[in-house]
Amino acid sequence: MLTQAGTAARGRRAAILSSELAVCLWIPLFPLRCEEQRRPELSGRPTALLSPSDTRRLWQISPTARRVGVRPGMTVSQAIGLCPTLTLCEPDPVHYDEQFTGLLLALNDLSPVIEPAELGRAFIGVDGLERLHGDPARQLRVIARVAGRAAALEQRSESTAKRSSRRSAGAARLGWGRGKFLSWVAATRAKPGNSVIVSDEERREFLSGQPVAVLPISSDTHRRLWQLGLKTLADVARLPQVALVSQFGAEGRTAWQLATGDVTDPVTGKERPEPITASLDFPTPAADRAMLAHTLNKLIERALAHPRRTGWRVHVVRARASLEHGASWMTEVTIRDPSANPARIAAPLMVRLENTPPTGAVERLTVEFVTFARGTDELQLFARDANAAARAGRRNALYAAAHEIQTRLKRPMLSHIIEVQPWSRIPERRYALIDFEP
Amino acid sequence: MVTHTRAPLRTDRLRALNVPRPVEVELDAHGFPFAIGEEGREKRIVEEILEAWRIDDEWWREPITRQYVEVALEGGGHVVLFEDLKAKQWFMQRP
Repeated sequence: MLTQAGTAARGRRAAILSSELAVCLWIPLFPLRCEEQRRPELSGRPTALLSPSDTRRLWQISPTARRVGVRPGMTVSQAIGLCPTLTLCEPDPVHYDEQFTGLLLALNDLSPVIEPAELGRAFIGVDGLERLHGDPARQLRVIARVAGRAAALEQRSESTAKRSSRRSAGAARLGWGRGKFLSWVAATRAKPGNSVIVSDEERREFLSGQPVAVLPISSDTHRRLWQLGLKTLADVARLPQVALVSQFGAEGRTAWQLATGDVTDPVTGKERPEPITASLDFPTPAADRAMLAHTLNKLIERALAHPRRTGWRVHVVRARASLEHGASWMTEVTIRDPSANPARIAAPLMVRLENTPPTGAVERLTVEFVTFARGTDELQLFARDANAAARAGRRNALYAAAHEIQTRLKRPMLSHIIEVQPWSRIPERRYALIDFEP
Repeated sequence: MVTHTRAPLRTDRLRALNVPRPVEVELDAHGFPFAIGEEGREKRIVEEILEAWRIDDEWWREPITRQYVEVALEGGGHVVLFEDLKAKQWFMQRP
């Protein structure tokens, strides 16, 4: 009989953790740096990544290529015309996402409150960390060290790892402040490999001198602010809130509140799911290796189908067996690239089963997913920068998620918005919803 | 908004979006809204009238006669209100 066991938390939604004090870790051009890490010969050469959604156009450009006039969005032929020695790389969004997940997992050891924003940018909640690591400067040093080490873990050779660790640590910019917005602005003002700390007393003065480009609002609103002559956050903060709301609606309100420093947007992290287990009791003790392997596969599939697993990839998996005469067997593997693919989870367990099999006949076999990493789809679907997310394969992730939902629930639960009469003076006629069927 | 998938559009599967919902509106001396009441919510005060327009349309089937007012609310909301002049009922929706 197959059974699924969970803890008392079964079916409960993941709890929300939050922290007002935030550190923003920003590694600009993260995908390009992943490529340079994988292929060190690219370092220092003019390099460009092709766009995942349109491989005729460029996505990310190395500083060397940028210096000779190559820009993101250019066609390949335009870029080669400007820089004949340009090296073009096919994008590998899954690899970039795995690297970023590794970084988030490492940061999770420092703080339970981690919020990914986009590839290469994450917020770390640091409320209470001063007792563990000291003042903000020390906290930032620890975070920089962990981030550098996480990048180095993926390297195969030690010498490359050392070089890569130095490079990653050197690329990361860190900002410390109250709230995500302040820490993000601080990170954008930090030099590569350095950090900027903004205390509560300095907050207003620091923000007032920043350009309006740092506000998380649409490009159209940025353009309109610029046309109205509002160039810095101080210009925005000087206006009455109602004037901005009248002009820009909810975005105007957000802009005003962030510019004045009146609101603090806390870092919110999700509590990881409780372990998920799936077990099988054999009617008669089983010793046949093929049967055990088959059962392991079935149990992995069962555990993966658990609703609590949705949105998470398995990082550590354990197989346990109760043997005849009261003995037991256990093996645990850490999956290097956390996965929700049954074959990738099963493969290392099969190797263990082959090399160190149970010493007797098995009465009960259990598979346990012990720790989890955030799912690829989730990371990319909820990235803040819609363009970057789209370029990083958001569409593929969305299609995969839509297929999975349709398979599980037998009907598409996702809709998309289509324009009907966008010019209409009757607001409900402008847009409509229709089933999303990729 | 998601890119169109190029699949043929079946209009029978369209679902309405931004459907107006009935609200209680208090008017000032000039006949413009100054407060909006909704069941189960606190009354919200209108901070500013942004735009007003009238629609008289579709006289050939079910005539639509509405007076629209786009308003900014105290504390940061931005909504469209309209009075169905036939039913004498106010509604609210997103701009």
